[in-house]
Amino acid sequence: MRVKVLYASFKTDLKAFGRSKGTLFWTLAFPVMLILMFGAIFSGADEVEYSLTVIDYDQTTMSETFINILNQTGIINVNVVEVEEEQILTYIEDNELKRLVTIPEGFEQSIGMVQMGFDENATTTISYYFDQSEQQTNSILRSVISSIVIELNMNVSGGKEIIHVDDIETVSGDFDFIDFFLPGMIGFTIMQTCIYGSLERNTKYRKDGILRKLLTTPITRSEWIISKMLFQLFLSFVSAVLIIVVGIGIYGLNIHINLLMIILVIATSFLFTGLGMLIGRFVRDEESAGMAGGAVTFPMMFLAGTFFPLEQMPGFLQTVAKVLPLYYVNEGFRNAMIYLKTDTAIFHTSMVLVFAVVFFIGGLLLTKWKED
Amino acid sequence: MSEKKVQCPKCGNAITVAGNPGEVVRITCPSCRTEGKVTFKKTIPKGDVAIEVFNLKKVYGDLIAVNDISFAVRKGEVFAFLGPNGAGKTTTVEMIEAIRQPTAGAVRILGRDIEESFDDVKEKIGILPQEFHSFERLTVKETLDFFSKLYKKRASIDEIISQMDLEDEANKLYMNLSGGLKQRVGVAISLVNDPDIIFLDEPTTGLDPKARREVWEVIAGLRNRGKTIFLTTHYMEEAEYLADHIAIIHKGKIIAEGTLEALISKHGQGSILHIKNCKTKEAVDILQNHGFNAFKEGNGDISVRIPSKERVLEILSILRHECIDYDSIDIRRSNLEEVFLNLTGAKLSENGQ
Repeated sequence: MRVKVLYASFKTDLKAFGRSKGTLFWTLAFPVMLILMFGAIFSGADEVEYSLTVIDYDQTTMSETFINILNQTGIINVNVVEVEEEQILTYIEDNELKRLVTIPEGFEQSIGMVQMGFDENATTTISYYFDQSEQQTNSILRSVISSIVIELNMNVSGGKEIIHVDDIETVSGDFDFIDFFLPGMIGFTIMQTCIYGSLERNTKYRKDGILRKLLTTPITRSEWIISKMLFQLFLSFVSAVLIIVVGIGIYGLNIHINLLMIILVIATSFLFTGLGMLIGRFVRDEESAGMAGGAVTFPMMFLAGTFFPLEQMPGFLQTVAKVLPLYYVNEGFRNAMIYLKTDTAIFHTSMVLVFAVVFFIGGLLLTKWKED
Repeated sequence: MSEKKVQCPKCGNAITVAGNPGEVVRITCPSCRTEGKVTFKKTIPKGDVAIEVFNLKKVYGDLIAVNDISFAVRKGEVFAFLGPNGAGKTTTVEMIEAIRQPTAGAVRILGRDIEESFDDVKEKIGILPQEFHSFERLTVKETLDFFSKLYKKRASIDEIISQMDLEDEANKLYMNLSGGLKQRVGVAISLVNDPDIIFLDEPTTGLDPKARREVWEVIAGLRNRGKTIFLTTHYMEEAEYLADHIAIIHKGKIIAEGTLEALISKHGQGSILHIKNCKTKEAVDILQNHGFNAFKEGNGDISVRIPSKERVLEILSILRHECIDYDSIDIRRSNLEEVFLNLTGAKLSENGQ
């Protein structure tokens, strides 16, 4: 293994990549465009009336009035429930609530104390629990609640702050579409770059005589494969980082970068490079290889839950998804970087690793390096 | 001087002929007076051999693509492997380059069996594969630089660029070059390790005549610098112009081999003397009476087959003595095309069919 050769090959790949507008577009700009497009289509349009769960620990006329005012705004649909105070977070998680308000015990009493002049400094605090991933909706609701509270304070005490609002962030099990979509885009983009990169090397390079030429030079097969894999990995990381930057910068997503995610990027690159080699083995000419690549990636993209949750699909399609490698890639990325469900992420990552080993080794063994 | 025993094809009489390597000796059978030629193959001294091919064979199912061929290429020569498309040229050259596995036979390059030590041989050879198309988005210089990094021994890239007359293109992307320039870059790539042997598989196929000429000049230049060149082609002219030694392959077999002169003298029909616009009606009869094979062309011209170059003067003196009136004369030499036609009964067209 000669580092000099690996470096020379990497450098030429990088140069060629930088000069190909098409490849740059499909690898970098296209995924970002898709994210922005889907983000625009699916965000904001999901709710016109926002649901708000309220727990009333005060159970008084004053607390009831507050709830009524919330309801009368026309954009908040209040759902009053009874939950023990210690159970609030569990309740939010179990019911995948995006937001919840609690009215504390003594709400009416505190207001009364100020109004009657018994205690001018009495206060009461309303807690607003909200899911940090729902920034846009939450800020709307937060401003609605704030304005109600300001009005109440005005009416009761001439502007004195009796009622406070306490913001409590929660990480609920319910995420936005963009949370779901963005990790899928990472999987999808790595799949595209690796399959098409691999196909190019196995069909175009074969047709152009580059593979034949290389066979007669001292470059070894492992030097060639490793140098190409290094470049593929580089591209995969560039795509992943770009998508994450867009996610954080534009959508304010709470993305966690961890070891599992890095393993997933690497395993996914090997998986789809291997799959590309397998396709290239059976479809030798460049054009049909492109079509074959599309025939594999396109249905997989939809069936493996890249754009839409599997739950929205018919039962048999959900079963189909479970045999598709991209499904495990998508779910792995989601669980590792967004949902933080480590156990599930480890399972998905392991599945991706198994697929990667099978496809990559299969690709290596079945690729014909020499001519017949 | 060596001796060879041959058998007369007509009467079966055994004849002993003496000749030098490379010589074609004309003989007449002592018993039946049949005339014939005996070729004495050149034997190449061991140290002078660049490539040796022994009983090479490649079979695909029912098709025998290359059928038990053997030949040797001498160091420093341009060896042309000539034949129509599908004759087995590329299959052969790719077996020599260890890209294809032969069904049978062996290849030695610079004295080393490629089956055992091709990795060492790779450092000493340079190859331009058929229909080669390099990395599109690299410049000529970057391309040469990449390929040269693969070798231990490296020639100066700038020197190669200047030898191949590619200075103006050095920083242009490969994809933006013309067909002829691309082929020149292909040849340049095969030189990055300063190889002893260069394999050029159909280097001018698909090029226009001007670009083809330019590539020929490049190849001729390489030969002048002492490189051994193994050239496959279906262009007769290319082989005639460049080759020191020609092997004609047809349907997987080598049907003739030798220098251009030897091939023409053995398989050609000899040269023809062309008498333009002959005004003497009896000219054909007169020449025929003198024992020459003369015949009328449609346009008033007369063609006379020249049995040997010594007899050209004889024809000219007959023309003078008999006061035969004509505009001009020229001599058309027999060429490879005729050799090929004689050997295979078919013409080799421009597109190699």
